[in-house]
Amino acid sequence: MRWRRCPLSTKAFAVLRKEITDTLRDGRSVFAIFIFPFILYPAMLFFSSYIQSKNMEAARELQVRVGVVGSEALPFVVDSLAALQGVTPVPMTAVPSDIEGSGVNAVLVIPHDLQAALARGDSAKVELLYKDAENKSSAAERRVHPFLDRLDLMLTLDWARAQGAHAEAAPAFTVESRDTSSKSEVGRYIAALVIPYILIFMITAGAMHTAVDATTGEKERSTLETLLATSATRAELVLGKVMAVLAAALTGAITGITGLWLTFSVIAKAFPTMESRTLDIAIGPDKLVLIFLTLVPVAIFLSATLVAIGCFARSMREGQTYATYVYMAAVFLGLGSFGEAAPPMKNFMIPILNTALLQREILTGTVQMAHATAAIGVTVAAAIIMLVMAVRLFSNEGVLFRN
Amino acid sequence: MIEVQNLVKTFHDRKKGEIPAVKGVSFTCPSGKIFGLLGRNGAGKTTTLRMLATILRPTSGTARINGHDIQDRPADVRRSIGYLSGDTKLYDRLTGRDLLHYFGALAGMSRDRITKRIAELRETFQLDELLDKRVGKMSTGMKQRLSIARVLFHEPQVLILDEPTAGLDTVAARKLIDLVGGMGKRGLTVIFSTHIMTEAERICDEIAIIDRGIILEQGTVDALCHRNGTGTGKSLEDVFIHAVEEVSVEH
Repeated sequence: MRWRRCPLSTKAFAVLRKEITDTLRDGRSVFAIFIFPFILYPAMLFFSSYIQSKNMEAARELQVRVGVVGSEALPFVVDSLAALQGVTPVPMTAVPSDIEGSGVNAVLVIPHDLQAALARGDSAKVELLYKDAENKSSAAERRVHPFLDRLDLMLTLDWARAQGAHAEAAPAFTVESRDTSSKSEVGRYIAALVIPYILIFMITAGAMHTAVDATTGEKERSTLETLLATSATRAELVLGKVMAVLAAALTGAITGITGLWLTFSVIAKAFPTMESRTLDIAIGPDKLVLIFLTLVPVAIFLSATLVAIGCFARSMREGQTYATYVYMAAVFLGLGSFGEAAPPMKNFMIPILNTALLQREILTGTVQMAHATAAIGVTVAAAIIMLVMAVRLFSNEGVLFRN
Repeated sequence: MIEVQNLVKTFHDRKKGEIPAVKGVSFTCPSGKIFGLLGRNGAGKTTTLRMLATILRPTSGTARINGHDIQDRPADVRRSIGYLSGDTKLYDRLTGRDLLHYFGALAGMSRDRITKRIAELRETFQLDELLDKRVGKMSTGMKQRLSIARVLFHEPQVLILDEPTAGLDTVAARKLIDLVGGMGKRGLTVIFSTHIMTEAERICDEIAIIDRGIILEQGTVDALCHRNGTGTGKSLEDVFIHAVEEVSVEH
């Protein structure tokens, strides 16, 4: 290719120069390129590391009870488990039908004739029964797992000695953990983790466009003056707009959840190859109602925030940029539902995060009254503050007509 | 009736500081008259009219519309006015009917009253072809008719029209001006701003020439021309240019 024909010519560089100059003179672009990544991304990383370290800390402090069935076959097991940090062994005579209901988080099952089976070279199985869908049960499994590895090695050596065989040969027994969660329990667990987060990002996504269109759109389409000259008060106008945004937000959330339910609970079952992807998300109507009720205050808060921002923005482009920041912040806080199993009270004081956590408690049936009161109270207060702020911004001519 | 007394509006800009847009404007427009506010771009016409429509709050001074103070009783003022700006657009995604219902509801009209009012205005504004059509698909003339119908919909006693012919072609502008003239004859009080002299000459009972936020001349077209030596062939345009240039020289 000859240089003259190459599009990377001085004209291309002239365009580059112009675009860079144009970008650097646009405050929003400078914010998006320099300030936003400099502050937000590190903040997001910091926050997720913080959540992770808090989770690890909480996991370390967690006390779990492990039932031991058949401890007479391996008498040292109870003492060994007791030596593990945060583990309380509970000798049991039989495997309970309901692990959590029997007051333990996991059950180690040792066959009564283990030693004899080992001596005969027969197959035998030492199992830790737990539920991955239960936080404490899966924590118990993680806590006991290293001990199971050591036990496996020890039994292998015993078996090798008894058989006169090399220890690296495959033993006829196994030591393993077995997840006994039913499909509905797995579904409930995943739902509790994912649904609050999905709802937060869906209401924000649903509200964004309507909020910007209903506020900044009025400025950009030159319909604002006409509206302001009607006998409706500014508060009435803002309230009407917030209600429209709220309707869009809640509809977006309902549509999204219905779509997910159809995909994973109905459509996936129709395809044999997708069977492993199906989820049995059976949420009772009582929980659905509670989830919806907790969603309303946070949806009002987000709608009022987006309307306030829309009032402030000079153009649709600026409004969309600001709304994107709100969206990212909301999604980021919504991620809190993946956090520690027993979050501290202060987390219920942070709008959006508190709703995600409360919804997780609703879905797992572990609602604490103090948490619910704090989450709803704080979110309602934040929603009222944002509504007042939106009305004030919509009444401020310096904001509405700023150029 | 519109009574404006020493109306002042100063904008605050972080970089430029105080920007005086209107510096003590006073005038009176009796009921049933058409009052024209003539001025160049940036003269202060729009700011004055926005203050009268209670869209902007005056820095100082007062104005009363139909006896309601614009600062103390803005809701009453807004109930009694119809406001239209040449820059103002309509909602493209609404039909003519949606739009009239929306603004009727904002004016506090009942559904029955709105339906009756649409029937009343149907003929005057040829609403039949507008009611079920989306605004975005209407021609400029249709939009203009719908805009005027919207302004008159809640039966205001005062019309505030800010350069209503901006962006219209000559024929459409003439039709609109004649329509505004007709409103004056029907007893509505109209204040409208323009920088087109022929429009003002055609329909205004009284005119004020505004420049740099100050009213330079005020009176009927005849009085203004007489005061500035008519009879020697001077038109309103000559009077306007003379007044504005005089101020420019002083500045």
